Amino acid sequence: MDHRVDRSAVTIADEFAEKIRQSNRKDRIIRTAPLIVLAVLIVFFSLTAGRGFASASNLQAILNQLAIPLIVAFGLTFVILIGSIDLSINGTVGMAGSVFACLVLNSEYPGLNMGLWGALLAILASVVAGFLVGIIYVKLRIPSFMVSFAFLYICRGIGMLSYQGHPPTIRDPLFLSLAKASFLGIPFITWVAIILFGVCYFIQEYTAFGRHIYAVGTNESIPRSVGVNVGRVKVMVFTLGGLLFGIAGVVGAIRLGQGQVGIGEGLMFPAQAAVVVGGTSLAGGKGGVLNTVVGVLIMTVLSNGLVLLSVNPYIRTGIEGVIILVAVALTIQRSRQAISK
Amino acid sequence: MTTERKPFFSARDITKSFSGTQALKGVDLEVYPGEIVGLVGENGAGKSTLLKIIIGAQPPTSGQMTLHGQSYQPQTPMDANANGIGMVFQEQSLIVNLNVAQNIFFGHEKEFREHGFINWGKMNKAAAEVLAHIDVTDINPRKKVADLNFATRQMIEIAKVMNVTNAQQGKNCLILLDEPTSILNEGEVQNLFKQMRRIAAQGHAVVFVSHRLDEVLEITDRIYVYKDGTSVGTLNTAEATEAKLYEMMVGRPTTTEYYHLNQQTKPEEQVELEVRDLGLHGVFKHVNFKLHKGEVLGMCGVIGSGKEEICAVLSGDELPTSGQVFLRGREVRFNSPKEALEQGVLMIPKERLYEGVVMMLSVEDNIAMSNNKQIAKGMLCSPKAVARQADHWIDRLRIKTSGRKELLMQLSGGNQQKVVFSRALASNVDVLILNHPTRGVDVGAKEEIYLLIREMVSQGKSVLLLGDTLDECIGLSNRILVMKDGEMTGEFDASVEAKPSQVDVVSLMM
Repeated sequence: MDHRVDRSAVTIADEFAEKIRQSNRKDRIIRTAPLIVLAVLIVFFSLTAGRGFASASNLQAILNQLAIPLIVAFGLTFVILIGSIDLSINGTVGMAGSVFACLVLNSEYPGLNMGLWGALLAILASVVAGFLVGIIYVKLRIPSFMVSFAFLYICRGIGMLSYQGHPPTIRDPLFLSLAKASFLGIPFITWVAIILFGVCYFIQEYTAFGRHIYAVGTNESIPRSVGVNVGRVKVMVFTLGGLLFGIAGVVGAIRLGQGQVGIGEGLMFPAQAAVVVGGTSLAGGKGGVLNTVVGVLIMTVLSNGLVLLSVNPYIRTGIEGVIILVAVALTIQRSRQAISK
Repeated sequence: MTTERKPFFSARDITKSFSGTQALKGVDLEVYPGEIVGLVGENGAGKSTLLKIIIGAQPPTSGQMTLHGQSYQPQTPMDANANGIGMVFQEQSLIVNLNVAQNIFFGHEKEFREHGFINWGKMNKAAAEVLAHIDVTDINPRKKVADLNFATRQMIEIAKVMNVTNAQQGKNCLILLDEPTSILNEGEVQNLFKQMRRIAAQGHAVVFVSHRLDEVLEITDRIYVYKDGTSVGTLNTAEATEAKLYEMMVGRPTTTEYYHLNQQTKPEEQVELEVRDLGLHGVFKHVNFKLHKGEVLGMCGVIGSGKEEICAVLSGDELPTSGQVFLRGREVRFNSPKEALEQGVLMIPKERLYEGVVMMLSVEDNIAMSNNKQIAKGMLCSPKAVARQADHWIDRLRIKTSGRKELLMQLSGGNQQKVVFSRALASNVDVLILNHPTRGVDVGAKEEIYLLIREMVSQGKSVLLLGDTLDECIGLSNRILVMKDGEMTGEFDASVEAKPSQVDVVSLMM
């Protein structure tokens, strides 16, 4: 009586291996989906919007529009990579911009003229906010979206308090000149974004911290079992997020020439969308800042192109929503895994 | 093997209880330098639990472990690694978005730090060396794990663990392998065995857990047999045979009254459910069986044999990739559990806590959950009808509760299960799939559930049963199907006078 499974025929183990191969192939296709979407959008707008889209001046405009969303989205990418979410962005960016404008030579507090130190202190405020979000999330075990949501209001409040209802206009000649400065035809603020991309990519790819971020997002218990301090990684991610949001705030204030919490308004959801459209998984562990660059490009090109086509602004918002949905549907690996942490 | 026969690792009288249930009731394990030890036993015998204790992933409730003559109490897997003990887990533990080298040295990046930066080139070189050590030379350490196939990933897991032993410099190491072969093909298994022999030849030791007895007999020097959380014995592999091991693994059969055998009825001729060449790609295939009216059909197999997934397909949780399902002679295809329920097939799930009941709802609401339609008038569902239904079932199934308004979380496990059963019965299905219906239920309630199953069957319902134990499956069923590695390996008649022995069934499972 021999009922043993005949190993020479195609066994379930072989079928299983085949299944993994298939899903790997699919994964590789999915990985290129955001790039394809971007290419399609560029070709589409070049054809329909004509020279208006593919002109040097429009390219300059796109580069200009790109900077702040990019910086913000980099910070958010790391947060999403660990499977968490940060809703405090509008507040922290607004706070950093407001505090910065108050601390440099400005119209409201002429006595304060800290120059570059003002910028650093403003960024530090945002770093502290990010650190606190992380530490409260980890230590009190409150979901990150809840903690960061609270900090959205806390930071917005601090920002408003800092200028007592009268948004300060920046008078510092250095910062005023930076707003208009450009190098190699690329605006200064865009250079900031490009340099930060390099830094973030380096952190992501070439530091142990960066590697640990992926591990935490994939399955927390694996890094924990080899002795990685998972809580510390999470706090560091939120702190890094705070740093980038702070820089975005300062850059935003420089661009506007004024400090007010409004600098941060409307940044968060487009950033979330850009990160996800770029192919970073909301479940964590997959994607990265390079994906985010593609995601932000998609979002920026899309809104820019629709403006050039003079699409009714109300319809435009709707179209943007639909495109986000389509891009995410193409990108996401559908599974039973829950995507909120 | 070394001349000096002295174990370098020993675990004595290890017990472990999880919230009430005892997973380990006192097991022993001794490991000598240079040997490969096999650990066999049925699901739930405690093999994996013991390994998790040795690696420091879980603390034992009581018992002692010694390593190199000293007391060994790992708090974390890191402690275990530092002491030269490494483990390849059943579920793979690689980070798929990192590359091979980064996975092998995960958590040890500091060793490659130079002037504050990690020297990745050095890490890649070191990874290549570790891989070469286990005869793997065709993997680029820079490659992302996501791009590799499963067997290769398994070799990386082993390389990762071997790296632990390399760091030990001369001391004997212990490598724990939990079901490492379940997803490997023949050639890959042989390569793994070669590595295991090499490790052992270097004076280290390997503990090999597998449900494939032929493999255990091929590779090990000594075998421990565990049953229900106790060690039943150890024998040298040279003296062991499959038959002997089966004998040791299974328990004494329980008395006939326990399963109310006097109430076991003969099924009718009429076929309720028929499955033809059913398959789910990569999980199971070529599954054929008929479930008759009034029959209890037991399905046996170890975890991973595909039996759970067959139930998932039949209850509409998953779509099959090949084959057909017939219900009363008519071909059916269930896209969701709702469709299955409408046609008269319902599964009582294994994880009662997560899939079966809503703890924060009352008894009556839990019973009414899936059959509001039957008692509702249009869109409205009268509280009176819900109450009437609840009272009926509380009375019929003798559910011990202070009243129908009591929250389910206040009931005992057995009574919660009865609520699940009443819901199933109230929805008036013909085919019930019972997935471990007595899991986490005390002995008294178990017997009542057995009686209930007998009663349902005598009323013409058909039951597909995945028993919590082999004994239970044999005791309750009219017929037994055996699954192994995703394919059916046998069928037994289990009528009252011809119950197969557990050894017979186990021999087709492993």
